Amino acid sequence: MLDAIQFSSFAEFVDMGGYGFNVWAVYGLFAVFVAINLILPLRKKQKIIRQLKRRMTLDAEIQSEDDSHGD
Amino acid sequence: MTGKQTTTSAAFLATLKRDLLIAFKKKNDIVNPFMFFIIVVSLFPIGISPESDRLTEIAAGVIWISVLLASMLSMDNLYRSDFEDGSLEQLLLSPHPLFFLVLAKNISHWLVSGLPVVLVSPLLAYMLALPEEAYGTLFLSLLLGTPIMSLVGSIAVALTVGLGSRGLILAVITLPMSVPVLIFGTLAVQSTLNSQSPLGYLSLMLVMLSVSVSLAPLASAAALRISVN
Amino acid sequence: MWVWFFKLGSPKWFYELSGKWLPWLVAAMVIFMTIGLVWGLLFLPPDYQQGFTSRILIVHVAVAGTSLAFFPLMFVAGTITLVWRMKLADMVAKNAAILGAWFSFITLATGSLWGSVMWGTWWEWTDSRLVSMLFQLFLLLGVISLRSALEDSDAAAKACALLSIVGCINVVIIKYSVEWWNTLHQVSSPVTTDTSSPNGPEFWIATLIMIVAVYLFLTVSLILSTRNEILERERKAQWVKDLVLKAK
Repeated sequence: MLDAIQFSSFAEFVDMGGYGFNVWAVYGLFAVFVAINLILPLRKKQKIIRQLKRRMTLDAEIQSEDDSHGD
Repeated sequence: MTGKQTTTSAAFLATLKRDLLIAFKKKNDIVNPFMFFIIVVSLFPIGISPESDRLTEIAAGVIWISVLLASMLSMDNLYRSDFEDGSLEQLLLSPHPLFFLVLAKNISHWLVSGLPVVLVSPLLAYMLALPEEAYGTLFLSLLLGTPIMSLVGSIAVALTVGLGSRGLILAVITLPMSVPVLIFGTLAVQSTLNSQSPLGYLSLMLVMLSVSVSLAPLASAAALRISVN
Repeated sequence: MWVWFFKLGSPKWFYELSGKWLPWLVAAMVIFMTIGLVWGLLFLPPDYQQGFTSRILIVHVAVAGTSLAFFPLMFVAGTITLVWRMKLADMVAKNAAILGAWFSFITLATGSLWGSVMWGTWWEWTDSRLVSMLFQLFLLLGVISLRSALEDSDAAAKACALLSIVGCINVVIIKYSVEWWNTLHQVSSPVTTDTSSPNGPEFWIATLIMIVAVYLFLTVSLILSTRNEILERERKAQWVKDLVLKAK
């Protein structure tokens, strides 16, 4: 299977038959594009959950304060 | 049945008449887009080149793009003042199909802002050194194209009528949509210059116009109902 | 028969179902993406005409093909929003517009990186695909800016739905008119090789794998952002509160 690899050295792999810049730019761009559109939603989810949690604890505190005043 | 139909057409005519009256009272709405158009066109020879050969090449495109910009600017007034004084809500509450009332407003807008530009286009074509044989085609293509822009632009105006500042958002939404009209309008003129018949393009624009007349007011009406709550 | 359809409109149901699907979709995406990229970079033999630039096409064609799906997707979502008032359709549409703009931009960028080698220019007005993709990007940006301008979410939902429907019809008209416009300006075109010219079954199998991978990526990313949208908009619902309490 390794015979099927088109390159005999790493330098050749980087060079891509003279089109190294364009080929690697496309693959790099694609990788960044995929990574951003997966990582950003995941980080946003954590942020949303953190915010909701903070709001809920605040609500609970206000609630318990009201209760103690009621007594 | 007939009674209702007459009232709808009466409402159509009344809306048309009212909008035209308002426009003629507020003369600025008529004069400003028109002046804008003429000024923009006159800037191109200064910015690009005063040589008539070069101007001939770009004349059709310059006039078409200036028309696009002028009609987009004048569009801002289409529903805004009616929205602010509450008469737009009255329009939505009327028993007549909104389709016809919107169509009436669009027609009056075109008569006020599109038609003057079309009428003056041969003069500007002369200033841009467009060969005489293309005047007729330019005139006809603008005559067919400007109402399409009024009708399609009306959808975007209706969608943004409630916004405070919307000059740029209107441009961002409307300008990409005008690509087909721009393509066929300039192609028609170009083919006349190459001594081919422009009839194919003009009839395509006629098709586009009839499709927009029958569909765009529907979308505008729906957009108005969304924006005015 | 229609029960599943209206169930799907319930954000809670979608959140739970998509949560079950996500691991499988992610796994499939990783597998296809790895096979496609490794094959594309290491094993694909150079094309006899284009050399190693055919490797660019594997990625470019997959992204370009997938970005054609956005306006149909938004057309359907817009129709559902306007006709059935389904909140979920709008949440999908909101994120589809943003993701679609990304896809269109990457299509243009990878296309020019390929074109700069094959055509000797980064931008070519005579290529109708580039031009109509540019206008698709503009229309999507219009939808996004309309959404951000209208803050009221119910009116924004309907307005964006209507604009997406009009925009979808426009994209089709623009595509055909630009194509026509181009056939008439072909004289000075440096475009000699068509994008479809690399041959050999290997190229097409690799491209097909990448297309599947990119479609899976689209699905995963859209599901992730839609789930965020659900959490934000349904934050007052009890099931979201329970979910937040369980999360660490």
